[in-house]
Amino acid sequence: MRLLDERGLAGWEALAATDFFAKATADGRLIASKRVDPPAPGAAAALEHPLVPFVSYPYEWTFSMLRDAALLQLDLLAESLAEGLTMKDATPYNIQFVEGRPVFIDIGSFEPYSPGEPWIGYRQFTRQFLFPLMMRAYAGVPFQPWLRGNPEGPTAGDMRNLLGFWQRMRPSTLLHVSLQARMEERMSGTAVRSQLKTAGFNAELILANVRKLRKLVEGLESSGREAGWIEYESCQHVGRDRETKTRFLEAALADLTPSRVLDLGANDCHFAERAAAHGCTAVAVDGDEPVLDAVYRKGSPVSIVLSDLNNPSPSQGWAEMERPGLTARARPDLVVAYGLIHHLIYTASIPPTAVLDWLAGFECPVLVEFVAPDDEMVAKLTANKVEAELHPGREKGEFESAISARFSVAATENLGEGSRTLYRLNPLPANSGATGAE
Amino acid sequence: MLFGYLDAGSGSLILQAILGGAAGILVAFKAWKARMMGKRAVADVEGSDGSAVPTDS
Repeated sequence: MRLLDERGLAGWEALAATDFFAKATADGRLIASKRVDPPAPGAAAALEHPLVPFVSYPYEWTFSMLRDAALLQLDLLAESLAEGLTMKDATPYNIQFVEGRPVFIDIGSFEPYSPGEPWIGYRQFTRQFLFPLMMRAYAGVPFQPWLRGNPEGPTAGDMRNLLGFWQRMRPSTLLHVSLQARMEERMSGTAVRSQLKTAGFNAELILANVRKLRKLVEGLESSGREAGWIEYESCQHVGRDRETKTRFLEAALADLTPSRVLDLGANDCHFAERAAAHGCTAVAVDGDEPVLDAVYRKGSPVSIVLSDLNNPSPSQGWAEMERPGLTARARPDLVVAYGLIHHLIYTASIPPTAVLDWLAGFECPVLVEFVAPDDEMVAKLTANKVEAELHPGREKGEFESAISARFSVAATENLGEGSRTLYRLNPLPANSGATGAE
Repeated sequence: MLFGYLDAGSGSLILQAILGGAAGILVAFKAWKARMMGKRAVADVEGSDGSAVPTDS
């Protein structure tokens, strides 16, 4: 539900009368909207939108996701200008991914175009779309940590400092980065809108800029990092165990009929896609960008979240309420943690009991894969560690004892040569007093 | 819940005209000229009544 004031209502009525609104809503680029009456007290009107199944933020997106969001932003601006409207901002926070496609959700961004006005969102577009993409494409630097640290995005001055001499010599960076940085430094705080209007600024100039920006954004490609787990599915145990793990998941999906499934350490999203095929909202979390980017590009319907699970997205923004953390947003009915916890225990050095506490915190059934210390993958992960550097509780018997303090075991299945075990765990009743008892 | 914050940026607004192509460069030049003439007029007025003439900001 969205409440509109008088200005918002004027923007909505102008938008609803355009051909582009009907077209963009029909093809799913713009969120569907229905005016509902009567509005709440004090509001001029109210709009109802369908629920976005899972909200993610740009610092959780892959390169291709941010690039597609940027193209959507530019296309909607060009199409709205052609029918006498403009957009008053240009931020990826107005875009969400639904079934693997970007959808613009902020109907209030559109307003009638006033002749002679420049594009107010240009600077915001460069900071929150263009510069993060350039950062990855030209400097090989991931944009996600920057956007997580500063949701406003890098300034033109920041970008100029990030780029090397030859990168700054590209025509696109000379104009959008170096010249913008220089002009911002020289003209800060100067009123220029009326002067631009008097000098003859018009919508055609915005459209020319948008067309060139579109071509620039479309040509940007991610660079600077080799794939980490992109060959994961070629690992011996993955092919060997995949069928059993899928069957174990399918049984849980049939028994529990969850609405939302959270796949932690999703990698190529095979299991999340199985959940989506059952009609669930499948949220796939992984820390490997090349793998998730490939999943996105093939058109997977899962909700992709790029995040390291030993440091998931925290609650951020004003009063830490604007953008809730990943755990607060997840609210799953079923958690899948296949091939994950040994990485948390052995690579990230999280104690096994802390990992189980974390899983119990989701307060729903959990499918977890335990990997014993004698597994070949654990041998690789601990090749340069000594016993004193490892947490206790890694043996299967100790792990099962820790499980019983937090969950009841609904099903188990051994995998492959016996060093791996699947568990379906149900949370203990809230009044049992056993959760986190160790 | 999200609170929007947007600073259009004076330099970024002028730059948009330049990015619009040849016609835009002319618009940017006219806007810059108008700004310069406005500054000079302010300087002339302030200078004629004996107050300090401001330097370029």
